[in-house]
Amino acid sequence: MRKWLSGVCALGLVATTGTADAETFKIGLIASYTGAFATWGTQFQNAIEAFQSVHGKSVKGPKGETIDVQLVYRDAASAGADKAKQLAEELVLREKVSMLAGFELSPHAMSVADISKQAKVPIVVMNAATASITRGSPYYVRTSLTIPQWSQAIGKWAAENGIKKVYTITSDYAPGHDAETYFHKSFKAAGGEIVGADRTALRETNFAVYMEKALQAKPDAVYMFQPGGSPSISFVKAFSERGLKQAGIKLLGNGEFAELYLPHFSDDVIGTISVNHYTETNSRPENKQMRDQLTKLFGEKGVTDIASVAAWDGMTLIYGALRQNGASADGLKYIDAMKGKTIASPRGPIMIDPEERDIIQNIYIRRIEKVGGKLQNVDIATIPMVKDPWKIDNPAKSN
Amino acid sequence: MLSFALTVLLDGISYGMVLFIISVGLTVTMGLMRVINLAHGSFAMIGGYVAGYLTQQGTDFFLALFLAAVAAGLLGALCEVTVIRPLYRKGELAQVLLTIGIVFVVTALITEIFGAFPYRVEFPVYLTQPVDIGFRTYPAYRLFLILVGGIIALVLWFLIEGSLYGAKLRAAVDNSRMARAVGMNVNLLFTATFIVGTALAGLGGAIGAGILSLEPSYALKYVVLFLVVVIVGGEGSFKGSFVAAMALGIIDTIGKYFVAAAAPYLLYAAVFALLLWRPQGILPPKSLA
Repeated sequence: MRKWLSGVCALGLVATTGTADAETFKIGLIASYTGAFATWGTQFQNAIEAFQSVHGKSVKGPKGETIDVQLVYRDAASAGADKAKQLAEELVLREKVSMLAGFELSPHAMSVADISKQAKVPIVVMNAATASITRGSPYYVRTSLTIPQWSQAIGKWAAENGIKKVYTITSDYAPGHDAETYFHKSFKAAGGEIVGADRTALRETNFAVYMEKALQAKPDAVYMFQPGGSPSISFVKAFSERGLKQAGIKLLGNGEFAELYLPHFSDDVIGTISVNHYTETNSRPENKQMRDQLTKLFGEKGVTDIASVAAWDGMTLIYGALRQNGASADGLKYIDAMKGKTIASPRGPIMIDPEERDIIQNIYIRRIEKVGGKLQNVDIATIPMVKDPWKIDNPAKSN
Repeated sequence: MLSFALTVLLDGISYGMVLFIISVGLTVTMGLMRVINLAHGSFAMIGGYVAGYLTQQGTDFFLALFLAAVAAGLLGALCEVTVIRPLYRKGELAQVLLTIGIVFVVTALITEIFGAFPYRVEFPVYLTQPVDIGFRTYPAYRLFLILVGGIIALVLWFLIEGSLYGAKLRAAVDNSRMARAVGMNVNLLFTATFIVGTALAGLGGAIGAGILSLEPSYALKYVVLFLVVVIVGGEGSFKGSFVAAMALGIIDTIGKYFVAAAAPYLLYAAVFALLLWRPQGILPPKSLA
């Protein structure tokens, strides 16, 4: 029996008169719709549906032929990497998809490297942020971010903006380690001093002790990296409760302060400075178009986030590659079409690094303020076109 | 140095108080009827969400706490009569399976009603600020936890040591067959205790929301901590659960101060050591000692 999810993009319901030669290009999207990471699947899918309702469900190929772009959605269920791999195999072998996309978690994205090489299937990574992923196969392209892009940018910015001493409190998992490493590195390189560093358990919500240690160390700022949701909300609460905010210590963060999460914070969060590659309220026309379309289709649930923008830009890349190569080209041809591509993204200008197939993009420093009675991120600095620092530190071995 | 030691102590005790308020009901009912109730955390979570909802609507904080306890107690009563009671003689596996099932049902319901994001209890402004306590400034919220926990411990102490209800309760925990034989209605006693226990859990979930933050996975995430308090303290031992909650709160705090990297393991290592030393718990009731 066909999974009902695959019916979402039911082509063939539309009359196809005069397009008897229409070809179909299938893309398999793997993301979690259930479990701890359930928001990702919906956010990806909503953005893709919004994109298709603006740009159409088909593109014209190089010979003027019509190519129907069909998405097949699969639930990775917040499970282990083997689940994602199994879904990828099923999509490639049974559904005959020509491309894979999605992947909110790094282990999921990494698990399909071999499949992509064997089946010559390009993979558009729409979130998984471990820097090394794109080195795993020549078929990877990433439209999201790498953690070092964030943490290096804010480390340097802090040192250049009057912050001399920082205490870092990061979550004890791979992205947290990346954040800590690159913050320390860039902050010290720009003349700053790290006065203390703690790593906390992954789902910690009792931060009193860490706040006490940070308070005693008398830093100018605390740098945090915590998973979005209850750990970061508890963190900000403890920060204010313990008197760090009153002592004039600044709070520096990352994606914890996305618009999606802001309504769940109390006003203690005002003044927090965070780094991101997408400021949801930016006034670019591309952003307005995406947000308006999502609101039109999904109402209040159409809030955009980094998942939406990565999916939107991923679709832009895919449509571009199809226009150039048609529906039945070799996998690497699509990758070649994406290399070096620049896009006016809703987040700002982006480029796909021609060597690394990873994203090069503006990084924004924002401060949380109350605008019209609502908490909102307001851009205070832009670092233009940042390449993944990890790749600069770890040049590819020529082989 | 002294002020540092006092800070560690205050941090540890305030955390321990939350564990105590939530767990004390579980320890007494487990000691009394030997029912393994993994759903206990759900009542704390329900109390927390009720208080969160009411305070977000502008209800007075203390009224919201009271209603949170009442709501958890009422649901506790309902649950005891319909679900727990038939389980008394069913053996431990059935109890574990059924009560863990309740956890999943409550988690799904909470997600459906309130969403998957963390949920906020609006504390009064004066509880969200630090206050001057002589040698330093300290979060008012944590002092409030210590105060409330202390009052509850004292009230329970007088109730259990000084009242007829307490005498019956102790008798039933120590030897429930003999208590039945002399004509005590142990089932009624159990129901009453279960209600008080779940009401306290609801209260604990509400006032402890600043430390054990509310989210749909709360009931599953923290139930291990609550069970640890019960087992370390000694099943059925009110005093034991108090001592155990304080000890765990302080050990966890000291661990985070001095060996932050090992803190998550230190707590369980301590539990392991304590149980090797006193397998029946720190202060087990007479029936087990």
